[in-house]
Amino acid sequence: MSKRSVHNKIKKRYSRSILALSGTALTLSSMSYADAPPTQSTVSIKSTNYQEDDLLSNEVLFGELSRYDIDVHQFQLVTPVTRNSSLQVNGSYDSLSGASPWFTSANSEGEPIVNLSGASGIYDTRRELSIGGSYYLENETVNLSIGRSAENDYNAAFINFGFTHQLNNRLTTIGVNTSISNDEIFPTDAEKFNRIKSASKRSVSTALSISHIINRFSAYQTAISVTNQKGFLSDPYKLRDVRPNSKSQYAWTNSFRIFFEKMDAALHSNYRLYHDDFGIGSHTVDFSWHQNLSTYIPFDLRFVPSIRYYTQSSANFFTNIDDFSSDPLAPQSSDYRLAAFGAISAGINFIADLNNLRITAGGERDQAKSKYSAYNVSRPSTALVRFSRISIGFDFSY
Amino acid sequence: MKEKFLNIKFKGMGSPCEITLMGSPNEEETLTALQHEVSRLEQKYSRFLKNSVLNAINASAGDPRGFTVDEETLAIFQHAAACYDQSDGLFDITAGPLNKIWDYRKAIVPDKNTIEETLQNVGFKRIAIKNRKVFLPSGMELDFGGIVKEYAADRLATIASKNSNLMGLINLGGDFAVIGSKHTKYKPWKVGISCPKRPSVAIAEIALHHGGLASSGDYLRCFELHGKRYSHLLNPVTGYPSTGWQSVSIAAPSCLLAGSIATIAMLKPLQESSDFLRDAGLAFVAVDSDGKMLTNLE
Amino acid sequence: MTLIQKHILGLLVLLSTLNLTACVEVRAWEKGYLAKEEMAWNPDILEDALAKHIFFSKEASSGSSSAAGGGCGCN
Repeated sequence: MSKRSVHNKIKKRYSRSILALSGTALTLSSMSYADAPPTQSTVSIKSTNYQEDDLLSNEVLFGELSRYDIDVHQFQLVTPVTRNSSLQVNGSYDSLSGASPWFTSANSEGEPIVNLSGASGIYDTRRELSIGGSYYLENETVNLSIGRSAENDYNAAFINFGFTHQLNNRLTTIGVNTSISNDEIFPTDAEKFNRIKSASKRSVSTALSISHIINRFSAYQTAISVTNQKGFLSDPYKLRDVRPNSKSQYAWTNSFRIFFEKMDAALHSNYRLYHDDFGIGSHTVDFSWHQNLSTYIPFDLRFVPSIRYYTQSSANFFTNIDDFSSDPLAPQSSDYRLAAFGAISAGINFIADLNNLRITAGGERDQAKSKYSAYNVSRPSTALVRFSRISIGFDFSY
Repeated sequence: MKEKFLNIKFKGMGSPCEITLMGSPNEEETLTALQHEVSRLEQKYSRFLKNSVLNAINASAGDPRGFTVDEETLAIFQHAAACYDQSDGLFDITAGPLNKIWDYRKAIVPDKNTIEETLQNVGFKRIAIKNRKVFLPSGMELDFGGIVKEYAADRLATIASKNSNLMGLINLGGDFAVIGSKHTKYKPWKVGISCPKRPSVAIAEIALHHGGLASSGDYLRCFELHGKRYSHLLNPVTGYPSTGWQSVSIAAPSCLLAGSIATIAMLKPLQESSDFLRDAGLAFVAVDSDGKMLTNLE
Repeated sequence: MTLIQKHILGLLVLLSTLNLTACVEVRAWEKGYLAKEEMAWNPDILEDALAKHIFFSKEASSGSSSAAGGGCGCN
């Protein structure tokens, strides 16, 4: 018998018994011990430009037409420390310019019109740094992180604690996550505009989650979260903004993931039901499709189109025309975020893996409009935002 | 990237092992991790180490409380179950007791009664697995041969591939696994297939781009008596040695898959096995008892 | 009632409304696809953090499977 040099040509169609065997073989070989600590360090950076559309000139009575333009730079380092612990450092730097609604009034036809904050506009930066550690046990993970955020007129310090436990042969994971944040606001030009000099608020938030593996292609997660805030919750920059000094928020989130073997793609769907004691209720639905393309091209590329729909009802004390004659202590706000509206957004992301470098690029467009609302809109806000963002990110593992 | 070859040979899992690595600044660390992993799996699944999980399970035979296994061992059981199902009971990790009655050194064929009696203690379907507990009936024992060494090769390749700069090849006593991403543009590893009678002679060469390659065969562990060849691979259904191929080598997306299919092909009757191999859709080289080669390589 | 007491009470009330549905059992060894990155609850941590932050600052709602962080003057 002579030696034969040959190519290893593998037929694409495997027999049924081979598929059955490869299923269990693949599972065994690629078995990741769920929630295992990272085995290598990863540094991630991501830069985003966020831009809000200018308001239309007939919507603005006074001030600049342009809204916020924000550059966000994010940084993350995840590194293993011991065999079962890891360290995580997160940072972000945002620089913001633009204007924000100051007060709303009515035009000659009695329709609401926005007055944007001073001709000088707003320039601010926000720096956030947090550091945390995770410890991995056989069926549990524990993590703790602390952080600070600073803006020209706002400081916050927060702590976050998380715990997960896997049970039921690791098919079910229960998680608890609690964060406490102490925030302080000290408005600029407080004297000049007769704003509050400084104020504080505290937030406590807890989420309980249960995720369950349904079958080998799909998984479901349900979570409730409760957030309580106490302190100064109003907007000191608005001419007239009085809100209650406590707020309770409840959210119920449902997530479903399913993998389509033949298409080599995953579908993510999420739904959130929300209610708070300002009287706001909301629905959020989003879908994203994670399509792998590596069968067609010689490197790992994934593209992820996504759509999102959001709608909320208005707060009890929302008004679209500030009423300066009413009781100055009675809750009242013309903040567009307290109005009833709907928002539709669509985005796309590309993720390319080049050995130890990953490049992510993407964008999103979001439009909020009164007519998109699923709730009754008795007092439409004219200050609703339309924004676009584009991002590029790099992850480097070593 | 500077290309630097690093090659180490060591003995692990009862076989000569070889790891070839290239292209990383911290390949020494990786090598340590890989050898650590080999010894971890060896200590966990060796038949020859008293404290191995495998021997603990075997010691639990007949215990009505069962034996609680970890996730990795559970996954091995599931793969063994798939092998058992897909081979109609030929690939059976409970076939161990048969090895004891077939003595290759003395070249004696055991009598029928002994075989019948021994077969009472063979049969994967008699094992119950509930939640994380394995219930092994009294008198039975397990052998992860044909699974663990192949799995170990894949594990090592997976661990090494986490270091995205690395390329290389794992060889655990003839079980091969390629290190590196599926898309790494590098020339394939050429693995020679040995002649079953003369292991130093290559009869074919398989080019491995990714995944693994494994062989199953008689090699030197068989005997001939009255003109009949008795292989060390025993058919757990009949209790007699398989009579098909001398050796089967397969290239597959993973070494474990390759090894499992090679073992099944060895145990199946020759004609059925030929069809099985042709239908498999994987590159294979099989040599029959006359030394004739069957392959789908071009 | 303190903020913390109120918080715990709210949690208990919501928890009582959570209903767990029974699912088909999947063995640990069948989890291969679920281990894929695109099947993670949050495949891209930075993207997820950014999206949450933006919507938190433009909409009234907040809350997810992880606790809502505070710490921004944007809302």
